[in-house]
Amino acid sequence: MSTDLLAMVEGRRVVVVAGAGGVGKTTVSAALALGLAGRGARVAVVTIDPARRLATALGIEALGDIPHRVDAARVTAAGMQMRGTMDALQLDPRATFDRLVAREAPDDAARERILGNRIYRHLSSTVAGAQEFMAVERLFELSESGDYDVVVLDTPPARNALDFLDAPERMTRFVEGRGLRLLLGPRGGAGRVGWRALQAGGSMVMSVLERLTGAELIGDISEFLQSFDGMYQGFADRASAVKDLLASDGTRFVVVTGPRPEPSAEAMALWRRLQTDRYPLGALVVNRVHAMPGGGDTPPAQLAALLRDAGAPDPDGLAVRATDALEVARARARADLHEVDTLVSSLGDPALITVPALDADPVEVAGIAHITRALGAP
Amino acid sequence: MSAPPLLDRRLLFVIGKGGVGKTTVAGAMALGLADTGRRTLLVEVASEQRSEALFGVAPPAGIVPAEARPNLDVLSIDTDTATEEYLARQLPMRPLVELMVRSRAFHQVAQAAPGLSELVTVGKLWDFATAVQGGAPVWDRIVVDAPATGHGIALLEVAGQIRELASSGPIREQAAKIEQVIHHPAATGVAVVAIPEDLAVSEAIEAVAALRARDLPVAAAVMNAVRASTVMPADEAPLRKVADSAAGDAERAAALAAIDTLVAARHDAAETESLVRGTDLPVVSLPDVPDLRPGSGGLERLAAALMADRRTGGGV
Repeated sequence: MSTDLLAMVEGRRVVVVAGAGGVGKTTVSAALALGLAGRGARVAVVTIDPARRLATALGIEALGDIPHRVDAARVTAAGMQMRGTMDALQLDPRATFDRLVAREAPDDAARERILGNRIYRHLSSTVAGAQEFMAVERLFELSESGDYDVVVLDTPPARNALDFLDAPERMTRFVEGRGLRLLLGPRGGAGRVGWRALQAGGSMVMSVLERLTGAELIGDISEFLQSFDGMYQGFADRASAVKDLLASDGTRFVVVTGPRPEPSAEAMALWRRLQTDRYPLGALVVNRVHAMPGGGDTPPAQLAALLRDAGAPDPDGLAVRATDALEVARARARADLHEVDTLVSSLGDPALITVPALDADPVEVAGIAHITRALGAP
Repeated sequence: MSAPPLLDRRLLFVIGKGGVGKTTVAGAMALGLADTGRRTLLVEVASEQRSEALFGVAPPAGIVPAEARPNLDVLSIDTDTATEEYLARQLPMRPLVELMVRSRAFHQVAQAAPGLSELVTVGKLWDFATAVQGGAPVWDRIVVDAPATGHGIALLEVAGQIRELASSGPIREQAAKIEQVIHHPAATGVAVVAIPEDLAVSEAIEAVAALRARDLPVAAAVMNAVRASTVMPADEAPLRKVADSAAGDAERAAALAAIDTLVAARHDAAETESLVRGTDLPVVSLPDVPDLRPGSGGLERLAAALMADRRTGGGV
């Protein structure tokens, strides 16, 4: 039942790794990137979370907006091959948006006006989906740069893991600002006066807003939208190009979950949505699955005798506690298995990979390589 | 004068990154407070109605709470409804409110203006905290299940941001008032939740630093899902001897399972120690409870553990 995920995504330009928070998405993304680089691809992996431990494990001082090359010697020392290259970077939403503005702005004055606007400066933290938008934008930027064969995106820990799919369009609509533009118009632009009059009640809305927030805020928003005039088309084109790329055969979506009901419910919703909207599905990765301990049942007395010989201070008590521990471990493994079965049956037998639970978080390349091996033949 | 412990404050924000069990901790805290006689309101801000899985009662989406347990009300706050109510209070005429709510321009401003909707949310939380009926407060404690870390902090600092952006008008005044309350350690307390994993712990430490840098009243950290072991340190060597011996598979498996619990407990204790060192806060450890469904007693166990800690104002 196990899928070779590396083989499945090999040759694609984009791999999107999505899922609920806390399931180990970042580590799976890194493991996937490591495997693809090992097979010879030039890979960039984009993380969203500040993953300092991951950076340390990869031998990178601190992940930032600029790609950092992972030292091949470090990878081969962990017993992995490294025929290609692996770069890692962390999303910097502001830097990404600044570049986008710089590229799309008609002239320097327009660019400066946007970069200095107070609404713009707060944009990445306030507008819903702004971070997701930047993530997708960065993905597109890297993919188009020609520097990489494949870009692996570790998606933002969204309230709803699906947000990033709608982000480009939502952002475009926001910048377009239809409702507001009609009311605000260019300041002093006589041509729009008629519009204002036509908008029954519109000016009242504005005056109420001004009364509530002060004129300055409305002015800032008006200026913000005006400075995006002439850039809207660029945004819209970009959004549709990104959407096309994500829906193309050059992309694969990998959904990560843990063997617990909450993230699994989110993973199932995500998987179904991707299916419905015809996005190219790769595989479902169930991370941190506990293995079923071997051995049969043992009467505690028999174990107690062994423990007594081994010098245990309380062999009888310890034997009971140890057999209890074994039962707990089995129950946990059974519960994990049940969760995996639920996923398989409710999603109609998806391509599935289970990654065994590690004793500790991967702190070295060897730890990530361990997961890479679970994802496919390196 | 030192600030009161977390649970003695009126407005309690529970924040943490996704996957650490923030909703569970907020639910347990609310249940513990309710069970010790405080009329408590649990408010979800991320509008996912997750507390239903804990109490079996869906928190209504809107601004009117529903009872989930004796002394305990639940709500999943809805920003649109809260905004409408806010407007209704600010504006003299109902038709004007409707006009605003229907206006696309209004929603655009609400979306563009940094934090306007968060401000309405926080303002509503403060309404709950100060609601009075028949001369007595309606609730003694408001427990807020905040969105995942970055956004959770955004929610707390929004008032300051608005005050900076809105030059005049009632919004500015309200923002200034709310900002004062949110920053006041006698009224508001923030608890940061982590689980015993490197990434989660380092994020919690960063969140605490960020809260302190903004002068927000962070009062405690909670380490959720801490694994315990019944194996004593002196048992380890004999267990390893049996595990490495030529004993039967079943005996070796039991010995290994016992050792695993010890290793896990040590790992989690070390992570908890890092959290204590990194935050210099009272850290409450909550046991790893596999079943939290209503009726399982799981949430009650967590509530009891939270309420037993004197450093956060429990145990009295």
